Amino acid sequence: MSWVRRYRALIRNAWLVDLQYRASIVLWLLWGVTEPAIALGIWWAIAGSGTVSGYARADFARYFFAVMLVNQLTIAWDSWYLDRWIREGDLNFRLARPLHPVHEAVADNVAYKARTASVILVVWLVAAALWPAVRLQATPGRLALTMIAVLLAAAMRFFISFTTGLLAFWTTRATAIMELHAGLSLFLAGRIAPLALLPPAVASVAGVLWFRSMLAFPVDLLTGTVHGADAVLRGFASQIVWLGVWIVACRVAWTRGIRKYGAVGG
Amino acid sequence: MSAFRILSAFWRLNVAEELQYRANFVASVLGTVFYMATALLTLSLFFRHTSQLGGWDYWEIVVLLGVFNTLTGVIEAVLRPGIGSLVGDVRSGELDLVLVKPVDAQGFVSFRRLDVWRFSDIVLGLGLAGYALVRLHRVPTISQLAAFALTLAAAAVVVYAIWVLLMCLAFWFVSVENIAVLFDSVFEGARYPVSAYPGALRLLFVYLIPIAWTTTVPASALTGRLRPALALVAALVAALVFAFARFAWRVALRRYAGASG
Amino acid sequence: MANTPLVAAERLSKTFQVKVRDIGIGGAIRALVRPRYRQVRAVRDVTFGIDPGEIVAFLGPNGAGKTTTLKMLAGLLYPTSGRVHVAGFDPWTGGPAFKRRIALVLGNRQQLVWDLPPEETYQLNRAIYDLTDADYRERLEELVALLGLADVRDKPVRQLSLGERMKCELVASLLHRPPLLFLDEPTLGLDLTAQEAIRGFLSEYRDRHGATILLTSHYMQDVTALASRVLMINRGRLLYDGALEVLVARIARTKRIELVLAGGDGVTREGLSAFGEVKSFHFPNAVLEVRREDAPATSARLLAALPVADLSIEDPPIEEVIRQAFAQGGEEDDS
Repeated sequence: MSWVRRYRALIRNAWLVDLQYRASIVLWLLWGVTEPAIALGIWWAIAGSGTVSGYARADFARYFFAVMLVNQLTIAWDSWYLDRWIREGDLNFRLARPLHPVHEAVADNVAYKARTASVILVVWLVAAALWPAVRLQATPGRLALTMIAVLLAAAMRFFISFTTGLLAFWTTRATAIMELHAGLSLFLAGRIAPLALLPPAVASVAGVLWFRSMLAFPVDLLTGTVHGADAVLRGFASQIVWLGVWIVACRVAWTRGIRKYGAVGG
Repeated sequence: MSAFRILSAFWRLNVAEELQYRANFVASVLGTVFYMATALLTLSLFFRHTSQLGGWDYWEIVVLLGVFNTLTGVIEAVLRPGIGSLVGDVRSGELDLVLVKPVDAQGFVSFRRLDVWRFSDIVLGLGLAGYALVRLHRVPTISQLAAFALTLAAAAVVVYAIWVLLMCLAFWFVSVENIAVLFDSVFEGARYPVSAYPGALRLLFVYLIPIAWTTTVPASALTGRLRPALALVAALVAALVFAFARFAWRVALRRYAGASG
Repeated sequence: MANTPLVAAERLSKTFQVKVRDIGIGGAIRALVRPRYRQVRAVRDVTFGIDPGEIVAFLGPNGAGKTTTLKMLAGLLYPTSGRVHVAGFDPWTGGPAFKRRIALVLGNRQQLVWDLPPEETYQLNRAIYDLTDADYRERLEELVALLGLADVRDKPVRQLSLGERMKCELVASLLHRPPLLFLDEPTLGLDLTAQEAIRGFLSEYRDRHGATILLTSHYMQDVTALASRVLMINRGRLLYDGALEVLVARIARTKRIELVLAGGDGVTREGLSAFGEVKSFHFPNAVLEVRREDAPATSARLLAALPVADLSIEDPPIEEVIRQAFAQGGEEDDS
């Protein structure tokens, strides 16, 4: 019961703070929209009246609208927050209270995602009304599977971001490492193109590592390009394995980081 | 030129301070190289599936990417640290300290801070454009080079003016501290020639917010797509946009004086 | 149980490794490949015990080791050697049970959510510390009344004055009514009225709830008004542990005689200097400094020789005494 109360209070505060910055959040959202919009524009021009590796214009449109939605639902900014907490000493009071700071971060994510996702959903509904190409023909079953995949991807990206932020215990360039990861995910997670359009070797690296699970897999589920129960199961298995790996990494980084922090201070 | 003397004093301080953190130089160059590599890989990915984009071939767009990187250098080295911190300065009251100085406030606010390491972006960007020209086996004529220099300067002025206009909004909407994101997201569109965009996007990038021109025009001048004489038109446009930004700044300052007085 | 101190530090030491920065790009690369470290002994062999209900102040210049000691007591840092025992716990491994028994207030950082009214942070802490509604309401009312905060409940923190912010910070930190308070520079940057209000509150709070308070401060008034005992730390060493007055008596070898003269005939600086060192002379006021044991005799001589309207004997300003104490304490060691 006390955990319900704690999370309610944390989420409420995060929500209220977001509300103060709603104009700023709209600007960040815009940032999240232009990248897929530009990619879509270029692929649209390339596809012309034909197809690219099986993708016609309408397929690209659906793909990048799904990227926009799933990316906003799974993106995590925690490495920036943690980096600041650690460098500026705001971690101190968080360590002095009987609540692990990870819970505050989780609550922040829930609040942020609820808000941005609702905005993007509205955008999509309006776009779908005007533009048949981005309408989804999804069965309830596929939607349910997509939701699970999005949840797993969000959890994994949260732990990746949190773990990377914890690197601030050791280096002043933790956020640069996060940007490096973001740069890689541009290709490997499918932000710039469907993985099917990458050179096969690169695409298989994306599948073996965690990148496909971050974004491309839930997007493909949503747009219906994962065919067969076998492929769906393999996708989920990969998500679960990598989520586990990042949770362990996060735990290790936290324990060691706090030990280091206790040794040398802020 | 007392304004210049004061500014150069600020810059000296700035450079001296930054030289303390030489590791930042390595990090900054590595970051730029990484971003350039990302952009080139993206381009290669597109060209796996096509042989031209908006009528431009691969190395022509690399020239354009070089211009994009050069302008990014101007933005990161000068605009973001200077005019980009205006919103924060309005909020913290630091702007008052600028306004009491006996110099032109707009010039002073715009150029008092520099991120010196990011000037390396300009060098790397021009280098990339030069390398792409070599791959194109194209040697620009003197008049093409002159047109390039003029249009690049005009592009820098336009970008500067857009920043000033955006930051002037801050006098009305102080809560929007990250208003530069608005610029960043639209400027992303300048990575590709304007002719590559279809329908609605072209309307947005080319006519509504004509930022894409800032890279397309100088790159066209360098690759010989633009008649050198047209560079004068670019300069004229830049002068007009600048005058408008100057006007907007005056209006914004009047509002500021009224609001805080 | 009766004579177990609430806070016990035994030969407590903390050594930091500080990376040595070489100059130039070559140096930066060398530092990456094989970093060199220098040992900084922030706290050395410090032993003390603090009983329940005491208010104890750490005194010392910047970098003396005050904050490091406080952070070890609060469990943010662990000792390099030595032992700490706080409220029955080892702070480093104490976990939530320990954290419920302490409050940590850092004067230069805040837990209040910047963009929201302080009440939102109170609500959050109510959930974090599992307070019942009745407890929460009662304590909030008490704290708000004691600090005179009734009118700032619904203003966002960023609109509060520095003093109001610190008061709200205290409310947020004390809702779970911890028996032990660690306050690092709680009056930093506040104006005199706010400083006084905080001091008044802290001593009232201690009297009501028997809390134990450990604080560091730059302001001697905090120490003189609040602390029954001071721990003087310099370069990581404990130089003095005891009452402030005893310290002053031991360090201050002089007293000040403050005079107000009734008439000006012939009194000069030179004439006054026959009685003691003239600290200032602006007719009709004069301040003389004399050896402590000479103060009564000199006063009598002054009264006899000069037209004195008023005379008082004071200790030298406390700041000066402390400066002297650190000057003496600092000479003895180094490295």
